[in-house]
Amino acid sequence: MPPCVGSRNTRPQRRIMGPQSALTDFLASHNISAHQIRLDADARRRQAQNNGDAQTDENTQDDEPATVDPPTDAPTPATSSRPATRARRSAAGTVTQRDEEARKKEQKVLEKIKASKKFQKRKRGLDSDDEDDLARALLQSSAPLPGQQENCASCGKRFTVTAYSRNGPEGGLLCGPCSKELEKGDAAKKKALPKRATGGSVGRRRQVQSNILDGTYALGAKSLMTLCIETLAKNIDLAEDLGDLPEPIIDKIARKLSKHRLLDSRTLTLFLQPAAEEVRIYDGAKLSSNDFIRIFQTVPGLKKLKIRNGIHFKDEVVDYLMSRHIDLEDLYLHGANLISEGKWKEYLQKKGGSLRSLRVYFTDKHFSDEVLALMPTTCPLLARLKVCHNQKVTGAGVASIAQVSTLRHLSLDLRNELHSDVYVDLITRLGVNLETLSLTRVPGADNTLLDALHSHCRQLSKLRITESEEMTDAGFVRLFRGWANPGLVWLDLQKCRQLDSAHPRENPDGLGLCSGGFRELMDHSGAKLRELNVHGCRHIEAQAFEEVFRAGAGEKVYEALEKLEISFCEEVTDFVVGSIFRSCPNLRELNVFGCMKVRDVRVPRGKILVGVPNAKGMVIEGDDDVDDVVMGDA
Amino acid sequence: MAESKYITLVSSDGYEFVLLREAALISPTIKGMLRGPFVEAQTGRCNFPEISAHILEKVVDYFNYWYRNREKEDVPDMEIPVEMCLELLMAANYLNLDPQLR
Repeated sequence: MPPCVGSRNTRPQRRIMGPQSALTDFLASHNISAHQIRLDADARRRQAQNNGDAQTDENTQDDEPATVDPPTDAPTPATSSRPATRARRSAAGTVTQRDEEARKKEQKVLEKIKASKKFQKRKRGLDSDDEDDLARALLQSSAPLPGQQENCASCGKRFTVTAYSRNGPEGGLLCGPCSKELEKGDAAKKKALPKRATGGSVGRRRQVQSNILDGTYALGAKSLMTLCIETLAKNIDLAEDLGDLPEPIIDKIARKLSKHRLLDSRTLTLFLQPAAEEVRIYDGAKLSSNDFIRIFQTVPGLKKLKIRNGIHFKDEVVDYLMSRHIDLEDLYLHGANLISEGKWKEYLQKKGGSLRSLRVYFTDKHFSDEVLALMPTTCPLLARLKVCHNQKVTGAGVASIAQVSTLRHLSLDLRNELHSDVYVDLITRLGVNLETLSLTRVPGADNTLLDALHSHCRQLSKLRITESEEMTDAGFVRLFRGWANPGLVWLDLQKCRQLDSAHPRENPDGLGLCSGGFRELMDHSGAKLRELNVHGCRHIEAQAFEEVFRAGAGEKVYEALEKLEISFCEEVTDFVVGSIFRSCPNLRELNVFGCMKVRDVRVPRGKILVGVPNAKGMVIEGDDDVDDVVMGDA
Repeated sequence: MAESKYITLVSSDGYEFVLLREAALISPTIKGMLRGPFVEAQTGRCNFPEISAHILEKVVDYFNYWYRNREKEDVPDMEIPVEMCLELLMAANYLNLDPQLR
């Protein structure tokens, strides 16, 4: 066998038995075990075979059956006939020693059955004196053996017993047709129960559309792992331990649980492995301060911590964290706005030395300029910093960030409007090393920032500048033309456009990303771009799109592009969309919300076109022949 | 020799499952076994000494379920018995039946 991905050589015998102390264990404690059930089935089958053998032996020994086969045992004829005849035959005198033993054994079993409650009950119901026969009937019906022939308890017909054969109302097994009769009665009963409301075909259609918008749409079945994880998430209350599942799987389970808001004090325990270095909590809304403290108690070697919706991650938790020998390298906190400014400062002073990555989301007022001012001195290793949805940080804070010379990844989403000069200063100091730069909502940033990027950045692969009202097309042209930075992989320039409600159409100054900038950016980065977002850059002309995604002579192919967002680019037409599908062979999703000139475009199979302005909204199917589409539209 | 349309998967306890080659190829692990310079590639027989028969049976069920639904959208989910869930998860991980690949 080849070396397989996912196998672990540390285990001496690599049988997949599943973690012993998990669900399996819990079920085992309730006497449910797949293994046991299999063993039982095997045992039954063996026994059935032995019995069968014994019977055939017997038949060959006595060849005059008619003499002792009386049709007198009327109450339970079908089920008891065989063993009964055997017993009587033995009594008739053709007894070998083995028969004698078999008879004794059977007698013992019959005695046991006679003592049972079921027997007593049945006896009352039937008024039969022949206790032996009745006991045998029960013996027979208690162990139906798949594959054997049997007489139907209702119509008396002979049929083959299967695992699905049903019991008749008076014991014994039913043949196929009789079972169906019985089922009809059951179905009538079931109808009386209130039916759970389902979405029906509309609900399903809506689900598909919802998946498309989530980006989780795909043809075909879900992966086995997804199915398992979903089942597990549904039954998480049964699990006591996830055992030694590989780390990525545990993470997937954690994500799935959070989606259903199932993470609480109890289920948190499943994800706290003492030997782990990483804990990721995707929804900590139900966790209390003590639960967060418990993380540090159970996982002493913690290096990376990620908590979303960590509302109760407050001062006392930070106090506890500082009192332990845990030096986090990676801290991701989302929604922890009960940590005071003082605690943030204290934490950075005590534990900032080990921090390589700090990401802080939704902290309202307490993550301030003063906290950032400590960073250049207290965090010598910091390479990644994200401050998002922050209402407190101003230009002074950003100036402090500019002093952290180790930064490679920087992401800012501040509520305060800053002057472009602040950003220029930031790029001048940090630009050389930056690999990721994300500046969300920077209305004041202008061409000077673009020029700074052009002259300082050499390693950038991801860039986001959104909602700038000052940058001009000329600025973008200057940035991308002859930029010594290698092609960007990820670019988001959404809503960099002119905003003037009095003259919305006119753009004499070429504000925002327009045709020239778009051409230059595709020329510079097109070969490497995986995701491009030019949402709302509405002054890019149709001609620019057609040139960039042109077919025929001098055609360009953008192999890497997977996701393209051109919503609210007014000039986009059916022809442009067709051309895009043609020149981006690996494109998965194309968003065209608000492109009112897109009317009836045919989409290659497996690709997703979202936001077509008609009742359909989204189109996801079409022909495999992309060529035909383009020809038709041309 | 022309490749057979079917291949055989063998469980740890010796049970054999014969199924369409194309259906089994969604597992990159099995694909690797059948494409590489291995015995499996010549015989079309893959041994899984770590997967027991009742788990492998479910896996084979899944392969067929996947194959049947490969071109459909909005596919109903396959039932996974709760007690097999963790073991099946380990097997799925081993066979690389990962969500990213779908």
